Amino acid sequence: MRAFGYTPVRDPAEAVRVARQTPGAAFIAGGTDLLNLMRDGAQRHEHLVDISGLDLASITDSASGLRVGGLARMRQVAEHRSVRERFPVLAEALEASASPQVRNMATIGGNLLQRTRCGYFRDAASACNKRVPGSGCPALEGWNRGHAVLGGSEHCIATHPSDLAVALLALDAVVHLLGPDGPRQVPVGGFHLRPGQAPHVDTVLRPAELITAIEVPRRAAAVRSRYLKLRDRATFEFAVVSIAAVLELRGGRVRDVRLAFGGIATTPWRSPEAEAVLRGEPLTVAAIERAGRVLVRDAVPRPHNGFKVELVQRALVELLSGLGGLR
Amino acid sequence: MPEPSRPARGHTRRTVLKSTAVTAASTAFLPVAAHAEAEANVVGPSAIAPGESAEITLSVNGRDRVLTVEPRVTLLDALRERLGLTGTKKGCDRGECGACTVLVDGERVKSCLTLAVMRQGSDITTVEGLADGDRLHPVQEAFIRHDAFQCGACTSGQVMSAVACIREGHAGSPAEIREWMSGNLCRCACYQNIVDAVADAAREVRR
Amino acid sequence: MNVELVGRPVARVDGRAKVTGAARYPADDPVPGALHGFLVTSTVARGEVVRIDPSQALAHPGVVAVYTHADLPRLTVPTFPYIKGFIPLQGTAVHHAGQPVAIVLATTLEQAREAANLVRVDYRAEPPTASMDDATEPPHLPLPFRGRPNEITRGDAAAAWEAAEVRVEARYSSPTRHHNPIEPHATTAQWEGDRLTVHETAQGVNLTRSVLSTAFGLPPDRIRVLAPFLGGGFGAKGPVWPHTILTVAAARLAGRPVRLVLTRAQMFTLTGHRAEFRQHLRIGATRQGKLTALVETTTAQLSRTEESIFNESDSSSTLYDCPNVHVRQEGVPPDLASSSYMRSPETTAHFGLETALDELAWQVGVDPVELRKLNHTAVDQETGSPIAGKRLLDCYRIAAEAFGWSRRAPRPGATQDGDEHVGWGMATEAHTFAAAPADPPVTASVTVGADGRAVVRIATQDIGTGTYTVIGQVVADAMGVPLDAVTAVIGDSALPYAGVSAGSATIASVTGPVDRAARAARDAVVALAVADPRSPLAGVPADEVVTAHGHLFHVRDRARRDSYRAVVGRHGAPVETTGSLRNTPGHSYGAVFVEVRVHARLGSVRVTRVVTAHDMGRVMNRRTARGQVLGGVTWGIGHALMEHTVHDRHTARVVNANLSGYLVPVCADAPAVESHFVDHPDPASTALGARGFGETPITGVPAAIGNAVYHATGRRVRDLPITRDKLL
Repeated sequence: MRAFGYTPVRDPAEAVRVARQTPGAAFIAGGTDLLNLMRDGAQRHEHLVDISGLDLASITDSASGLRVGGLARMRQVAEHRSVRERFPVLAEALEASASPQVRNMATIGGNLLQRTRCGYFRDAASACNKRVPGSGCPALEGWNRGHAVLGGSEHCIATHPSDLAVALLALDAVVHLLGPDGPRQVPVGGFHLRPGQAPHVDTVLRPAELITAIEVPRRAAAVRSRYLKLRDRATFEFAVVSIAAVLELRGGRVRDVRLAFGGIATTPWRSPEAEAVLRGEPLTVAAIERAGRVLVRDAVPRPHNGFKVELVQRALVELLSGLGGLR
Repeated sequence: MPEPSRPARGHTRRTVLKSTAVTAASTAFLPVAAHAEAEANVVGPSAIAPGESAEITLSVNGRDRVLTVEPRVTLLDALRERLGLTGTKKGCDRGECGACTVLVDGERVKSCLTLAVMRQGSDITTVEGLADGDRLHPVQEAFIRHDAFQCGACTSGQVMSAVACIREGHAGSPAEIREWMSGNLCRCACYQNIVDAVADAAREVRR
Repeated sequence: MNVELVGRPVARVDGRAKVTGAARYPADDPVPGALHGFLVTSTVARGEVVRIDPSQALAHPGVVAVYTHADLPRLTVPTFPYIKGFIPLQGTAVHHAGQPVAIVLATTLEQAREAANLVRVDYRAEPPTASMDDATEPPHLPLPFRGRPNEITRGDAAAAWEAAEVRVEARYSSPTRHHNPIEPHATTAQWEGDRLTVHETAQGVNLTRSVLSTAFGLPPDRIRVLAPFLGGGFGAKGPVWPHTILTVAAARLAGRPVRLVLTRAQMFTLTGHRAEFRQHLRIGATRQGKLTALVETTTAQLSRTEESIFNESDSSSTLYDCPNVHVRQEGVPPDLASSSYMRSPETTAHFGLETALDELAWQVGVDPVELRKLNHTAVDQETGSPIAGKRLLDCYRIAAEAFGWSRRAPRPGATQDGDEHVGWGMATEAHTFAAAPADPPVTASVTVGADGRAVVRIATQDIGTGTYTVIGQVVADAMGVPLDAVTAVIGDSALPYAGVSAGSATIASVTGPVDRAARAARDAVVALAVADPRSPLAGVPADEVVTAHGHLFHVRDRARRDSYRAVVGRHGAPVETTGSLRNTPGHSYGAVFVEVRVHARLGSVRVTRVVTAHDMGRVMNRRTARGQVLGGVTWGIGHALMEHTVHDRHTARVVNANLSGYLVPVCADAPAVESHFVDHPDPASTALGARGFGETPITGVPAAIGNAVYHATGRRVRDLPITRDKLL
């Protein structure tokens, strides 16, 4: 890791100001991904602005919804009573993430900003368009078992690793930001960017901009929500395929459904088309299978990740049939 | 070798900032630089310029320990390389094995994933600080009783993680222990004995 | 008499040190003034170093030196146990990605690591061959390795295969795997004149010493290697690797002690691995399932600099009674690092054999256990001489009964529980344990002090298997003293000679010498007592003295007693004895039965129940023996279900050189294991009836899991690991 400077800050405005004024600065809060990125040489920063002391860790539940400070720790959110009662998908996604130790350290904001686990991205000696724009993407022809079948480009097919982001996407959460130009809000669905021509840009976050909070709108149906995460060992692993689902049934029919997917796409992935297939229909395995086919309609499988196309459809049946009481 | 311990005197530093390019660019550094030049103490963690070291105080196992580190020094390397507390192990140095688990303000964390400068003012407990004099912690006793280790490289981390796991209330059943102890790899794979030891120690702690 | 400690589940004597963090591992020992070393490794897999520019690195604060091939003296490339074929920094050739090309020394670890990033290396790169599939040349039969031929022929296997009533032909494969002990490899080298002390993560302190002796042309007695504790080896720390030699060389050049710890990523290219492996197996049998022919060709990954094959086919050629056998162990050299021993090296080939037997069992309609009993051999298949004390049939019986095998569903895919298919599978376990070299003989010394305590000294190691505890038990029993009156001093090449802790050879090779030294110490103290007029035992014939609890008694009149402490105290000088005994190699056996649950829709495989029974002669310590079973079963789960190292096909770099990409089992993957031991002393043993054991568990586990997956689903997966994509 290169030598870097360090400035602890006491309030968000100061954080933004210092970050803007300091060349090569980055924020550090939990540090659980940033330090690895810096050790791996995937990111280099001349200066770290320590925001871990900012008063941005509170969780409040109101009539309009849940507001989670950007510096709330994963464990803190997962254990919060309102989260467990009103948004079980969120608690499940968090507790399926990382390890207990990391959940004690990592923040909600940092979780959204974690970067791909693509082995080429994490190996500084490999080519990688996300790390070094224009250097190439070895994953296209190389080892791509963990990579995306949706949302990729000819420049990058790396998946976004966050479980939390998938759950937040299904809940239509909003990211609150504070930057040099003041505060703004971005729906979580618009926060992460597909690689397109610029895979090195993961999110819409601007320089010196800070995640101050995540707001999750109140939705009664979210009580019936669940997170399914499939991986290659029992736990403590990133998703091969994951799904967050919120299901509202009325009289056996789907009144509303929200589906978000992890592990299969370059960003946390929502499929309005697949949701539309189910909305208003009786919840049956056949209907879920139809929705699954719509979900993967544009999938681009690669040599090692083709199984995800089949697996995610099966996982959708598994999750929704369980959530909808079909089994 | 361990550095001599000193009484706490807030978060002090004595860095003389040489990197004028950065200080000029950042107003946040100016008061710090001024203080440093005046050899005065600043209360609260302060800015450190790239390439510089700072004197920090860590509270480890109930003792204040003063050490001089660059910002890039992890808590793990501070404990092992600066304070001589080699009971905490480095297995992967990227949060993927759990061997470096310590308690910070009572919570289990991976000390390879946090910077020492960020842990000033926290209470840090390492495996060396768990026993009460000659009396082992119930988790340590249970690990011996259940043969919950072989080579011992993961053991410090397992023990610290187990202490927290029990405290968190995640030791209610073997299945729960398996899940909540999975952040600590054991390549010798004493997992079954670890589960038994944690369950046993949890009963002991609850008594 | 003493109740014997050997055989009982004695708690580890080093337990307290390990749970308090007091145990000092090689990277923990403080060495004043030591610099931190960090390796610069090659980014390309094949080609040549054209230019190295260390100027930026040297300008980094705290950097003391950057050494390259231009700086290092010419060293002699050692042979076994240095299995690399070349020493880096001796020239410009690059043989694999991750090969060291420079070493940086700095005051702090952080400085050394960053400076290594700043060393600029220009290469002339050639396109590498990254996998056996892409090799341009066909596989070949390498020369014998350490006297072991790579081709074994018995009878006329080809003709017998052609004539067989029943045939099974299948291809099995498994990927590269890495040991990944939790403790990274670490070397601290300290020169004082021409004397060298090395704190080394070594499974064999004497192996490290011999390699360094050759490399530096230094007499072995000038080198001392220390490894009092080892944080896991699994074979990765048995051979000596380049970083050890480079650290020693750098310390000499710098005139300062140097500590170097490999990063996890560096461990994937610098410390060996289980080679990628293919196996073409043809088995001929009678309609009843009796083997008549076994024709096997295996292909293992070699390297450009090393031709040794470690994925040996011992099981295929010797485990079952078969008159016609032809085994060829071939290899192909891509541009990858050399492979090496990894816990139970025969596991890769054993998987194919034990899977093929399952396939044969289904084909002929014979229960897999019965098929194995039918093909059981009581004689060595190569020499025809009886195998002394082999109790494999007991293992089948004990484990099958405990598992409830007789209730097995007769058809594959017949048992479903909720969303999961349930399947049962079994396999034989077998491992050949090694003998320590004859010269010098393995020797232990025992010293009894005036405090009556015994100190046993031997240059063996405790790699987590329990050596400290077991040799303590042996000494306590032999002398008749309590366990806490025995101190074991090991892990130091300055101690009486012992071999490497590998090949499951530790207990097999050190128990005899330790026992002899301890008995000699007892006899010496008894002799002092009966000759000492001040002793209550004065004048008693020595053979009428018994010892227990630290005391010496007259066998018929226990009121006449003395103690070790009193006798040696009066003697006025410690009593020191030595013992040597050579062991012979042999085999340990077992049977493993597993239950798996396979999610019908999602293909997730869970191992939910495991029962084992093992025959390793006498069980020295039930706790530590059971630890080896737990470890072996979990390693088998990793081998069967998840572990695999990926090399990029174009660059030959490891793509998943970390523990989030290279998956090993976590706590939640490990099922409850019910372990049984036959526990019958082996009459041929030189180790108080015990045989080497550590690597026997695991050998059958991957096949047992695969066989259970077949039983659960009707799907036969022959390419490991069995990931869910192969079961959808």
